[in-house]
Amino acid sequence: MGLWTLLKSGLVLDIYFFKNNRAQLVSMFAWPYILLALMLGMGFLFGSAETFKSNVGVEADPVVFFVASTLIAMASLSVMWEVGGTVLYHRWIGTLPYVLIAPYRTSITLVMSYIPRYLLWSFMQLSEFVPVLIWREGLVGGLADTLVMGLAIVIGMLPLLGFAAIFGSFLLTIKEETNVLSWLNPIILILSGAFYPAYLFPIWARFLSMLLPTTYTFELARLSSLVGAPKLAEMTFLIAVLLGMSFLYNALSFTLMGKAEKRALKSGAV
Amino acid sequence: MKEEVVAAENLRKSYETYLRRGLFNRERKVVEALKGVSFRIYRGEVFGLLGPNGAGKTTTVKILSTLLLPDSGVATVLGYDVVKEAVEVRRRIGVSLTVEKGFFWKLTGRENLMYFGMLYGMDGAELKQRVQKMLELVGLEELGSSDKLYEEYSLGMKARLSIARALLTDPELLILDEPTLGLDPPSARLLRELLIKVAHQEGKTVLITTHNMFEAEIMCDRLAIINEGTIVAMDTVEGLKKLVSDEITLEMLVVLPARVSLKQLREEISEVVSSRVEVDPMEEGTRIRVVMRPLEKEQATQEMLRRLHSMGCSVRRIEVKEPTLEDVFIELTGGN
Repeated sequence: MGLWTLLKSGLVLDIYFFKNNRAQLVSMFAWPYILLALMLGMGFLFGSAETFKSNVGVEADPVVFFVASTLIAMASLSVMWEVGGTVLYHRWIGTLPYVLIAPYRTSITLVMSYIPRYLLWSFMQLSEFVPVLIWREGLVGGLADTLVMGLAIVIGMLPLLGFAAIFGSFLLTIKEETNVLSWLNPIILILSGAFYPAYLFPIWARFLSMLLPTTYTFELARLSSLVGAPKLAEMTFLIAVLLGMSFLYNALSFTLMGKAEKRALKSGAV
Repeated sequence: MKEEVVAAENLRKSYETYLRRGLFNRERKVVEALKGVSFRIYRGEVFGLLGPNGAGKTTTVKILSTLLLPDSGVATVLGYDVVKEAVEVRRRIGVSLTVEKGFFWKLTGRENLMYFGMLYGMDGAELKQRVQKMLELVGLEELGSSDKLYEEYSLGMKARLSIARALLTDPELLILDEPTLGLDPPSARLLRELLIKVAHQEGKTVLITTHNMFEAEIMCDRLAIINEGTIVAMDTVEGLKKLVSDEITLEMLVVLPARVSLKQLREEISEVVSSRVEVDPMEEGTRIRVVMRPLEKEQATQEMLRRLHSMGCSVRRIEVKEPTLEDVFIELTGGN
């Protein structure tokens, strides 16, 4: 009952926001297409779809490739912003103490109340791209791509929640309200291969890239853009890596969040 | 036997602060916010923590709300330790720390309460009914403001919503940090009346912090005066007043008939009260000043008035001067 209402609280908060802020709802639907159009537009300035394939080195449809990238980039940013940055947001508007006195552990409150929001936003955005995917790949191919991307969104969320909660715990302890996330997020996206394939990076960057769950989420989503049927073995491998990372990062965040909460309560940062 | 709702024993808390010395240098400073605070609050009581700014009121309230860990000492709420059993404490308290913020600006008052209700584990018809009841109780429904966006609320409305949230889960203990701070007099009065009603009619225990003497006097069953991290006095308002002075002064302005001399008047009054009597002729009449014990006040005043009447004196003005809570506060906090 408790955790269910906690999940529900996150969902109703978003529904209320959308109800009272129609412009936000419209912009949420428009944003992915604007981003996609920008990426494709710039891409076609540099060359054709064939040039893209030879440059990237994979047999991929550039439109589907960028749909996958856009979706995962937005979903990853969303997790980092909402879970990691929610502490800052609550502190700014003065709701932090009232959220912290909810009768759960802080890490649970922050993560659980965010899950419905993530799923709602991500699936709304994914559903927007279904017509584009069907246009590029046909009905069956388009739906299969949607399925793979949906899977990437759900599986990719699991390690990211823990990863973002670690940043949330860091932000909870500091009194200076520097918005670390605004400079951290673009770095994470670049290192995850959102803009350039990770295998082109220097060794140190590739090493960092391997530690980031977003790297594997991008890979998983992009499997859908490959010409021909997605490779099952590759998908299974990526899902296994993401599940392993989920366990690692969530266990770590649970421990760190407890420590951070204690530190914040001791120093009076709340 | 009175049931203990809050027990604080020797609470101590220090904060580290840094004084900026140029761009890169800073000086570490340790501020002792609480220096061994102990008190008890009993069921159904409105207990006030009265103190100047920086006295340690908010620190105490935050510790009891599980939002701050003490350096040492123990505090329990309904038998649960605020450090070791914080989740159990959170289930039983309602908190209001600031009145001017703490809600989502783009949500209505009702939506804000629905969200916080779910966050605190409530749901369904029970939550809807409770939200409606709270909006009615704090008067937002009557004002037609329940479904207005929070960003359109006045400070008074925000304060009411803050109390509604604190009461939402039907907590046994309400912890309110300066709930009327910054409110205009009508809003402050309304909120005080509401809190008194909640405490006395619904049997809630209320811990309130304030530096408003009037508010403390009319609202609190018992008060603790806190200064520089230490409780300097704790009692009922009457009890605290006695700490400063055990006497009250009665001043009367009377007009004497020609046949009554000042000497006669003094002798007559002196028979009624045991303490000092001063009689001074003034331009508009004669001033009688009598210092007496509070217990004597009623009977002695009636007897004096009877005698003055039988002597043919007409009483123009009568005034009782007793120590105020402000006198007590200034005396105990050294005018801080």
